[in-house]
Amino acid sequence: MSTPDFTLYAITAIFLYIIGLYGIVVRRNMIRTIIGLEIVTAGVNLNFLVFTILDGDLLPLAQYFVAISIVIGAAVASLALMITIQAYRHYGSIDLKKTSRLRW
Amino acid sequence: MPESWIILQPIIILFTGALLTPLIEYFGRALKFEKVRDAFAVIIFGLSLYSLLGIYEEVQRQGQLTYFLSPYEPKMGGVSFFVDQFSVFMALLFCLLGLFVSIYSVKYMEDDTGLDKYYSLLMVLVAGLVGISFAGDLFNLFIFWEAMSLSSYALVAFRKYRWEPIEASFKYLVMSTIGSLTALYAMSILYGLTGTLNISQLAAIIPTLKIPLQILYLIIVAIIAGFGVTASIVPFHFWLPDAHPAAPSGISAMLSGVVIKAGVYVIARILFTIFDPIAFDFGTTLVIFGIITLSVANFMALLQRDIKRLLAFSSIVNIGYIVFGFGIGAYALNIYGAAGYSIATLATMGAIFHIFNHAIGKGLLFLGAGCFIHEAGTRDLVDLEGAGKKMPWTGTSFSLGLLTLAGVPPLSGFWSKLFIILAGFTVPGNTFMVVTTSLVVLNAIFAATYYLWLMQRLMLRAPKPKVERAHEVPILMVLPVVILGLITVILGLWPFEIMGFAEVATKSLLGLIGG
Repeated sequence: MSTPDFTLYAITAIFLYIIGLYGIVVRRNMIRTIIGLEIVTAGVNLNFLVFTILDGDLLPLAQYFVAISIVIGAAVASLALMITIQAYRHYGSIDLKKTSRLRW
Repeated sequence: MPESWIILQPIIILFTGALLTPLIEYFGRALKFEKVRDAFAVIIFGLSLYSLLGIYEEVQRQGQLTYFLSPYEPKMGGVSFFVDQFSVFMALLFCLLGLFVSIYSVKYMEDDTGLDKYYSLLMVLVAGLVGISFAGDLFNLFIFWEAMSLSSYALVAFRKYRWEPIEASFKYLVMSTIGSLTALYAMSILYGLTGTLNISQLAAIIPTLKIPLQILYLIIVAIIAGFGVTASIVPFHFWLPDAHPAAPSGISAMLSGVVIKAGVYVIARILFTIFDPIAFDFGTTLVIFGIITLSVANFMALLQRDIKRLLAFSSIVNIGYIVFGFGIGAYALNIYGAAGYSIATLATMGAIFHIFNHAIGKGLLFLGAGCFIHEAGTRDLVDLEGAGKKMPWTGTSFSLGLLTLAGVPPLSGFWSKLFIILAGFTVPGNTFMVVTTSLVVLNAIFAATYYLWLMQRLMLRAPKPKVERAHEVPILMVLPVVILGLITVILGLWPFEIMGFAEVATKSLLGLIGG
């Protein structure tokens, strides 16, 4: 089996990372911020898989790593959504511009 | 089963405790004796501290311990644990503060509900911290890191009926998750380059790699930035002044005392062990980050009126000292090679000793501030004036904490700052080191003034109306504060034992370099 050209995947991973970061920085909606976080997680996980393809084979441990990393990402997202629900109960809004009373 | 499985003991005890706490709560309710969960939490922290002392003795005897979880082959860099003096030093510190905070929480959190979850989360937090210091490979470290982070996000938002913890926790979650994902990105590149994530194997493979240095420097930067978010090095510190004050005081003490130290620990461990400081110049970066952190946070601390916010900024200042200490160590090794080993030892030892002093001192200050807030019902410094007069035990210990962080000679905080500054001034001919160290000295003097100013307001002024009716807090709350105060005095007068421990910790961190 020939080595596939995985440069494209690596670039995609970096793009996902940047897109997610952009979403977090620019969007002021809490749900969209969480989606941004998830996109960053996806980018990093993809990168983990891409960089571990050697001679067409995937290093076996990388699969474990990515599986665990996805679980951790889900835990983070669920906690973030819990906080979003609480914020909605306080303000009736999930817009960070309206909720933000802290000095940034 | 190999003998070194005792490494896992404290982690297993803490996780089991976290699982059992809701059950204990259930039985406690059935028997109308709800305090049993608090007693259980204190016992669990005591047990884990006791098992850590066993590990400490074992490490003293053997130098270092390693343990592989059996189903995975060590060759691939599977799940491994690695313990040396530095790990034990940090783990003991984490568990000690956990014990104090659990004792303190018995009374302080009395009026809150859902305390079984509180103690569970606190145990997972400490288990994560111990796991971070014992992890032998980077992915294992990442898992414990996330266990620690997730429980600290939840603990910051514990009083979810108020707006401030919710917002602070969300901000903390978003920033810290980006940080840990950036670090994971760096790990993925490392794994791709070397095929392993085991720290000691990485240290052996990295010098043999034939790839452009820029990629390795990219990894170094990503690791400093990624873990630097939790360590709150200055351009990444924005979450800290919100999250630490918003948490319940016991948790503020945990976060400021030890969680941010975990970030510094991971940066030091990865950089010093994997990337040889003689070959890689990351010392300069750390020194500059340290100086920026110190100066910005010192300036910001002056502007605060909220007592916990001021203490939070002072935590960032102290992270600046620690990062600066590690930076000077790495810089000296990079410039002078093996000849710089003595300077590096002095600076790194100062940094490690300062980790200890700041954890004890800031734990004390946040717990003490919690006592004041408990009595006066406000966090505003203007309203809290004179509170120390009404609460002599808390006030005196609080002043000791302020003095040790100000670096007043007989207390322990003086020694660690002295080592860091001495190391910076060892080579008079090196302009970079002399100039940066002078900046640190200026900052230290500047910081001392506002610590003394805070002490003068709390202890010497006439009590304000809000603190008129304040009186000394219950014994279970004041006891941890007084003991922490005593520790700073005793270690200030007799620092040799702990300095010896910090020195062997330094040697095991720098071990491979100069021997």
